[in-house]
Amino acid sequence: MSGAPDGFGEIALIDPFEIHVGPAWTKGEKGARAYAFRVQEHHCNMRGVVHGGMLMTLADMTLGQAVWDATDNAPSVTLNMQTQFLKSAKEGDLIEVVPELTRRTRGFVFMRGDFTVAGEIVMTVQSVWKLLKE
Amino acid sequence: MDKAATGLPDGAEDISTGGFNRFAGPFYRLPDEGADENRVRRFAFVVLEKHMNGSGSVHGGLLMTFADIAMSRTSRLASGAKSCSTVALNCDFVGPGRLGDLIGIRVRVSRQTRTLVFLTAEISCGERVLMNAQGLWRIA
Repeated sequence: MSGAPDGFGEIALIDPFEIHVGPAWTKGEKGARAYAFRVQEHHCNMRGVVHGGMLMTLADMTLGQAVWDATDNAPSVTLNMQTQFLKSAKEGDLIEVVPELTRRTRGFVFMRGDFTVAGEIVMTVQSVWKLLKE
Repeated sequence: MDKAATGLPDGAEDISTGGFNRFAGPFYRLPDEGADENRVRRFAFVVLEKHMNGSGSVHGGLLMTFADIAMSRTSRLASGAKSCSTVALNCDFVGPGRLGDLIGIRVRVSRQTRTLVFLTAEISCGERVLMNAQGLWRIA
């Protein structure tokens, strides 16, 4: 159940909360990477549906990875995240996303992502990231 | 967890009974403030090592999880429905939470219809605001 899908490699997660909920996988070249995550029982609520908090954590994790790619690993923080839940996902589902960079300015990065299960969107996310001065 | 040592008030009820709530928690419900349309539903948790990011702050995903749990629970309490699902949630990250912080959320119902609940919430540690949230729940 927790094996990597074909062509994907495990992300070396750093944040304790991401390690706690992980693993997650990635494939592809910098700036156009795909991410994947397998829903396990402990990610679900009592109705057997993946928890909204888990999905938003996955969004923060994967869009954050894409922000790193877009900024050569500059330190940044999530400033805002807007999430729409379109369809439920359940245990065993593979959730995939290819984050899209909407715009990057000197101080901000604007990201979006459609999270899919078997090609159907389960969640769509837009987030704004603030680049921190080093 | 020893409630007294964490600063959780008397009357804090553990609502992390299973699933992701328990895996990410524990999270607690605190007594309501006010009544009727002025009612504020309150919840809290104490920041543990597993909740952190790599920069020494509480992970944004965990704060959004806490908001989702508290606002979903409020939707159920306000509507009397057995289950409610999140349709949309908008979160502003105002400030960082730290290890050991006692973090609270205050949830208000803006409007309720036969099928929907509109909610706002503020997450804070004492006087320090950490996150503002606004969301829409569907009554299942």
